[in-house]
Amino acid sequence: MNELVEVPRDWLDSMGDVVRFGARVVGRVAGLQVLRYTGETLRQAGILIVSSTLVIWGLVFIIGLQCGIEGAYFNQSVGTPAYSGVFAAWCDLRELVPLCFGYMMAAKVGTGIVAELGSMRISDEIDALEVMGISGITFLCATRLLAALVVLPFVYLCSIGAGFLASYLAVVQQIGDVSSGGFFLIFWQFQNPPDVLFSLIKAMAMAVLVVLVGCYYGYNASGGPVGVGTATAKSMVINIVGVHLISMLGTQIFWGNNPRAPIGG
Amino acid sequence: MMILTGRTIVSAIRPPYPYGPEFVGQFMFALRLCWLPLAISTVAFGYEAPGLQAINFLVLFGAPDRLGGFFVLASIREFAPFVDAIVLAGVAGTAITADLGARKIREELDALEVLGVDPIKNLVVPRFVALMLVTGLFDVYALLLGVLGGVIATLVNNEPLGPFWATFFNNASTTDLWGSVVKTTMFGAIIAIVCCYKGMTASGGAEGVGRAVNQAVVIAFLAIFAFNYVFTQVLLATHPQLTTIAR
Repeated sequence: MNELVEVPRDWLDSMGDVVRFGARVVGRVAGLQVLRYTGETLRQAGILIVSSTLVIWGLVFIIGLQCGIEGAYFNQSVGTPAYSGVFAAWCDLRELVPLCFGYMMAAKVGTGIVAELGSMRISDEIDALEVMGISGITFLCATRLLAALVVLPFVYLCSIGAGFLASYLAVVQQIGDVSSGGFFLIFWQFQNPPDVLFSLIKAMAMAVLVVLVGCYYGYNASGGPVGVGTATAKSMVINIVGVHLISMLGTQIFWGNNPRAPIGG
Repeated sequence: MMILTGRTIVSAIRPPYPYGPEFVGQFMFALRLCWLPLAISTVAFGYEAPGLQAINFLVLFGAPDRLGGFFVLASIREFAPFVDAIVLAGVAGTAITADLGARKIREELDALEVLGVDPIKNLVVPRFVALMLVTGLFDVYALLLGVLGGVIATLVNNEPLGPFWATFFNNASTTDLWGSVVKTTMFGAIIAIVCCYKGMTASGGAEGVGRAVNQAVVIAFLAIFAFNYVFTQVLLATHPQLTTIAR
């Protein structure tokens, strides 16, 4: 029984540290100290674009297909195949695209940051930076956070597009119960710009969480090559739970009391 | 990776079977690491996506009682397996890669081979079997907790629970249940193979292990999602009776 309780206790221990560390990083970004390293920020942004966008879009595309077939079959079963667009619009925009974005951020970007910063810490490169008078937190963590904030909104908006395209392919081309025009009529009726904004806020909250957690575990890695691996694995646990909780809170806040649909009262 | 899969299956079946204790150890390890993240994730997911959004939609039609039927479709067939797999891949899979990667870097795997101990039989096979079993069994918990999320969503909307259970059990079929469990067992196999492969081929010191974990989890996620799509499509196409909602 003690072993079972060990894991949550471990979380609580590290949770406070993560929050304190995250607040420092956010402070460096908000205090504009990070602008001293604009070059590094742009380089990190470039790395994000080149290495992560395609994987994120790929995953979102697959989940869009999934939403499409589930929605088409569900609406078939209640006798309203023409309304598959509702399911696709809500499932994609409100729930699964942000969630999958969070998963893939955690998997690709989060663990990538831990691996990179962790190996810098192990090979004493971070200490070397500090000796040279460059703050490690500003130069390594705050630049990554700023890069993520600059690049990811655009990546995310494109990934919504990928999800929509996939749902369209699955519902209209693959299952084929509804015509293209009928699908799009319903599809666009059941969403509006505020929905996109809420969805974006959800996804950005996840992205910030993932980057901060990744920076924390990488920056504080210890114990040789093994330590880097363990830190990477640990960061995934926090990220997955955090992504689910953010998603749930976001749904509750944005859509909990108001379905924002063009029918009914 | 395919070669590793083949060799793992062959050496799992062919006697002798020295991997019993290691199997139990890995099983307990995955259980200890994953139970809480899995519980939190599935309840949160069941509450928000199929729960809140779907009940919002159904209330517009004046049919919130159909949420039970929707939960069979959403939770059992789709989302419980997939949250289950994501948590297992993210938590247990990364731990396995980190563990094996560290052993590879410290040349423990080479030492084992010199001693005449087959690393596949003694390290990969127990993890493979344990992860398959754990993922399959956790699926049942994921289903229960996901439905719990739906129950909370129903109560939050001040709807009675009776119609929820009625449509739920009207629609629940054994095919859905075994489909879900078989699917997650296959997910477990995918996760184990990808993570073991990436761990055993890690190279390049400290950064190598971290990078191996990174690649392992990305490949595992993509493979899970792709497999999930194909499996759902095949299941729905071969069992058309699943797609009709009973009243």
